[in-house]
Amino acid sequence: MSIDLLRTSLSILLQGLVTTLLLSVAAIVGGTLIGLLAAVLRSFGPWGTAHVAKLYTELFRGTPVLITLMFIYFGVSYFGYAIDVFAAGAIGLSVYQGAYIAEVFRSGIESVPRGQWEVSQILGLTKAQTFSFVVLPQTGKIVLPPLIGQYLSLIKDTSIVSMIGMSELMHGGQAIVDRIGKPVEIYGLVALIYFVVCFPLSQWVRHHDRRRLV
Amino acid sequence: MSYQWLTLWGYVPEFIHAAWLTLEVTALAFALSVFLGLLAALATISPVAALRFIARGYVEIIRNTPVLLQIFIVFFGLPSAGISLDAYWAGVIALGLNVGAYLSEVFRAGIQSVPRGQLEAAAILGLEPSQIFAEVVLPQAARAVYPAIVNYLIQLLLGTSLLSAIALPELTGTATVINARTLLYIQTFAVTLIAYLVLSNALSWLAGRLGARIFHPPLIMGAPKRFAGWRLHRANRA
Repeated sequence: MSIDLLRTSLSILLQGLVTTLLLSVAAIVGGTLIGLLAAVLRSFGPWGTAHVAKLYTELFRGTPVLITLMFIYFGVSYFGYAIDVFAAGAIGLSVYQGAYIAEVFRSGIESVPRGQWEVSQILGLTKAQTFSFVVLPQTGKIVLPPLIGQYLSLIKDTSIVSMIGMSELMHGGQAIVDRIGKPVEIYGLVALIYFVVCFPLSQWVRHHDRRRLV
Repeated sequence: MSYQWLTLWGYVPEFIHAAWLTLEVTALAFALSVFLGLLAALATISPVAALRFIARGYVEIIRNTPVLLQIFIVFFGLPSAGISLDAYWAGVIALGLNVGAYLSEVFRAGIQSVPRGQLEAAAILGLEPSQIFAEVVLPQAARAVYPAIVNYLIQLLLGTSLLSAIALPELTGTATVINARTLLYIQTFAVTLIAYLVLSNALSWLAGRLGARIFHPPLIMGAPKRFAGWRLHRANRA
C-alpha cells in the first residue's frame, strides 16, 4: 500500500470513526437510561410494569440487533415516514443494549443484601430514599465493570448499523474496498482503529471485573 | 391486512429452509468455537511463553474488533491469501473464530476455578497429568462454565444474522430477499423476529434440560426469582 493511498484511506476512515464515536455516545446514554428504568421497574415496579420490563429484556435478548435496526429503519418508512439513519441506529442500539444493561443493573440491585432494606425501613426511610441513598451507591461499584463491558460490545455493534446504510467506520472501509480492492490492507486498517479504541476499555474491564464467569 | 399475511404464507417453506440453515451454521460454528476455545484456554495457561503469547494475541484481537469486520476479513480477505470460501464456510469459520475467543476466557476461568489443592492431592495419589485434567478438573470446570457456554451459544445463534451481509440465505438474509420482493417490511420482520425468539428460547430450554440431566447433582439454570425488596418494604409497613 502506497503512502498516498494510506493517507487518503486514513482520512476517510477517521471521519467514519468520528461518526462511530458519536453514535456510540448517543446509544450509551440512551441504553443506560432505558436499562436503568427497566431494571428499577423489574425489581421494584408494581405488578404490571415488572412484567412489561421482563418481557422487554427477554424480547431483545432473544433476537439479533440487526433485526431491531431493520425493523426501526424500514418499519418507519413502511408507515410513510422518513427516519434519519443515525437516529434509527441510535434508537435501535439503545433499545437493544438497554435490555442487556438492565440485566447488569438488576444483578447489582439484587446484590445488596435484603437486610439493608429492613434496616432502612426501621430507620424510617421511604422506598425512594432507600433506593437512591442506600442501594444505588453500593450498586455502582459492583455494576461498573460489567457495564463498561457492555458499552464495549455496544461500540463494536455500531459496525452493524453500516448494514442499514450508515456511513461510519465500517462503512468507510467497505466503500474504499469497493473502489480500489485490497480488502486485507483496508479491513486490517479498520480493525486496527477499532482495536485502538476498544483495547484500553477491555483491559480496564479485565482488571476490574471479579465475576468473569457470569 | 389479511391478504398481506396470505402473501407471506407462500414464503413459509423459504422461512423453514432459512431457519434450518441458521441452525446448521450455528451448530458447526459452535463446534469449531468450543474446539478453538479449549485450545486457546490450554495455551493461555501453558508454561510455554510462545503459546501463551499466540493465544493471548488471538483472544485480544478478536475481542476488540467487531464480528462483522471479522466476517468480512474471512470472506473478502482470505481469497487474497489464496483461500477461497463460500459464504457458508466463511460464516462458520468467522463466527467460530469469534466465539472461540470468548469461550477461551470462560474455559480458562472454569479450569482455574478448581482449587489448586485438588491438583496436588490428585498428583500425590499418583494420577497422570492427563488423568488429573480429564477426571478431576474437567467435570468440575464443565459444571462451572456450562451456563456461560449456553449464553454464548445463544449469542452465536443471533450472530448468524450478520451473515446476511455476505449473502448467506439464513433467516435475516431470506427476510431481506422477501422484503425486496413483497415490500411487506413489518410482516416479514415480525415473522423473522418470532422465528429467532422461538429458536433462541428452544435452544436455551433444551440446554437447560440437558444441564439438569448430565450433571450430578442436576444443574438448575434459569433466571433468579424476582427480587423481594419492594414487597418486603410493603409487608414491613403494614
